[in-house]
Amino acid sequence: MLNNRRITKIKDFFLQTITYLSSFVSLGALLIIVGFLFSKGIHLLNINLITENYLSTGFVADVFPDTPLCNCEPTIELGENVYYSPKWGIALVDSKDLLGKNVVEIEYVHANSPLRQVNDKGIGIEPIRLRTDYDMIRIAFDAYPTALSRFGAQNMIQALEANNTIREMEFQTTGGGIRGSIITTLYLIFFTLLFALPIGIGAAIYLNEFAKPSRWTRLLRTAIETLTGVPSIIYGLMGLAIFVPLTVSLTDATGGNILSGAMTLAVILLPIIIRTTEESLKVVPDDFRQASLALGANATQTTFKVVLPSAFPGILSATLLAIGRIVGESAALVFAIGTSIKDHITVTGKSTSLAVHIWAMMTDEPANIELSATIALIIVFITVILNLVIKILSTRYLKRKLGGAHE
Amino acid sequence: MPNTNVLIHKQNTARKRRVDQIMKAIFTFTALLSASFIIIIVGIIFVQGFRPFITDNHGLGPVNLWRFVTGDVWLIGNTFASNLYSVGYAIVSTLFIAFLSLLLAFPIGVLTALFIAKIAPKPLSKVLRTVIETLASIPSIVYGLFGSGVILQIVYDLSATFGYQSKGGNSILAVVLVLSLMSIPTITSISEVAIRSVDKAIIHGSLALGASQTQTHFKVVLASAKSGIFTAAILGIGRALGEATAVSLVAGGRRSGVSFHLLDSTSTLTSLMLEGIKETTGLDYDIRFSVGLVLMVVIFLTNLTLNAIKRRIGTVHVK
Repeated sequence: MLNNRRITKIKDFFLQTITYLSSFVSLGALLIIVGFLFSKGIHLLNINLITENYLSTGFVADVFPDTPLCNCEPTIELGENVYYSPKWGIALVDSKDLLGKNVVEIEYVHANSPLRQVNDKGIGIEPIRLRTDYDMIRIAFDAYPTALSRFGAQNMIQALEANNTIREMEFQTTGGGIRGSIITTLYLIFFTLLFALPIGIGAAIYLNEFAKPSRWTRLLRTAIETLTGVPSIIYGLMGLAIFVPLTVSLTDATGGNILSGAMTLAVILLPIIIRTTEESLKVVPDDFRQASLALGANATQTTFKVVLPSAFPGILSATLLAIGRIVGESAALVFAIGTSIKDHITVTGKSTSLAVHIWAMMTDEPANIELSATIALIIVFITVILNLVIKILSTRYLKRKLGGAHE
Repeated sequence: MPNTNVLIHKQNTARKRRVDQIMKAIFTFTALLSASFIIIIVGIIFVQGFRPFITDNHGLGPVNLWRFVTGDVWLIGNTFASNLYSVGYAIVSTLFIAFLSLLLAFPIGVLTALFIAKIAPKPLSKVLRTVIETLASIPSIVYGLFGSGVILQIVYDLSATFGYQSKGGNSILAVVLVLSLMSIPTITSISEVAIRSVDKAIIHGSLALGASQTQTHFKVVLASAKSGIFTAAILGIGRALGEATAVSLVAGGRRSGVSFHLLDSTSTLTSLMLEGIKETTGLDYDIRFSVGLVLMVVIFLTNLTLNAIKRRIGTVHVK
């Protein structure tokens, strides 16, 4: 008997231990994931990332004739690895761009520098102001080997100091920003909700307010429920087969575009919106409807003026849920909108969302983990905030409901 | 003049009724539209997926259906010049990977659910529930990125210590780890609901009979909740079978042959559909619909089998 109890105790202890251990797997996983995203992505997270283009623009320019050399000392304190040319009044530094490539970045241009404004040799007429975040690619001289960025900033400054004239120089704006994909994602959210909310809310109203319990209604419900089990890549194929040709024939689109992506996302979101809306319609007390009908309102008025306003918090959380899903969806959009990362976004043109931006970069050679982690950090931040708001909404709504019941 | 009043009232009522009818028709239409999408999806995948088997494919000749489903080389010959596609090996790998992921995620998920629902003190279970909800809301591409940045490195080092040359860590093991991480929150949250709804009387009965807390948890609570827990497993395996982008980042793109070695690279049906998608056209593009069709059939058959098993074991009903 005693022995038995001891065995039970040992067994219990063992089972308890594995239970405790497994519960902390999730906690550990979350911490590691967030830690990874922060350690890789946080240093790229700045305002430039959000405002800059992904593709960089290159310029070829030369110095305006008859501009005197600078021969001046820098007016600001320059960092350790910054190389400065007193003759030209420019400071360069070795750096990495947002895509992780080694570049020579312009760190500082003196106010009297002949390079402050340079002559555009391309199609532009305006002189170009050399900005401090541009990357210098090469500087060519009249009788001296061309200084290339891959030999580093120090080499470039030495070449500048050794020459009194510059034949031409090539530089580019910093690339690797995600402005384009952010705009596409915002467009996607707008259009998807535009398509999905009216249909979803309408269907929920039909199912909750009008449909009589019958085999037919059950069939409708099952059909809608089944949509949740379809993997998102299959939705992508459907978008590719129906919505892409549809938008191509109706608009000036030539392939996957924001509209076809939004339509595909709308189908993915329908079951979620319908279910959440219906749940919030269900908790609207029947007394409200009967009171409204008794006062002479018809079913339409009752639905729009009484039922829907009471169900508003539920519909709001359905919308927030939907936004979270739109921001995170990748597999369906790879097919339904495409993977081309663009800077100039039009509704019918090619572009891609933030999540697919990550996928496109990770499947490229070499993969850009830093920028991907930064985008992932933004996406996770958005979804966590949305979830938090939904939680607050539902608990407050629940409290109000319960409070009402107690009165 | 009571007569006109009555008339206006009658007109009003008639108009209201007409508006009602129109609105009801609109609502009915939206419901029908929502419900019809499942039919549209299945239909379009069938039509597009079958096309490579029955058309000439711009001179390449039709793809052999039997060969497609059973063969173990993705493509014999050159892209755009051959119709010898097969996904048989990927079907086996997909099922194998889904099974392994479930094997790893299921115990962890269920035990976490048990801990949250029955064992943990209230504040702790609140924290853990939030953790699970957060994990569930993280999009799959982020799991893929995590797999690519962290898990691949771990697997690579692991295989190096075994003296095994892995393809940069891209392997079955990496896919399984990523998929398990993704399905743990699904399994946990559904199991937790099932565990919490177990009748208190059964638990008290077990305790009164002298069973210890832990014995009750494992032999009574989990057993009573098994129907709900099984549902969690079905949903977990569904997520593992259908996941695409995350898997494609850690699978390694195996072009032929089934391998059950954990450190070998692999291809699932979904990762094959995404492979080389950026630069392809013609049959090499269309064949992805056929892979999608196979994926749908695999998921459907898996669900059917699991639901049949569930009906056989799920005799204890949970409220």
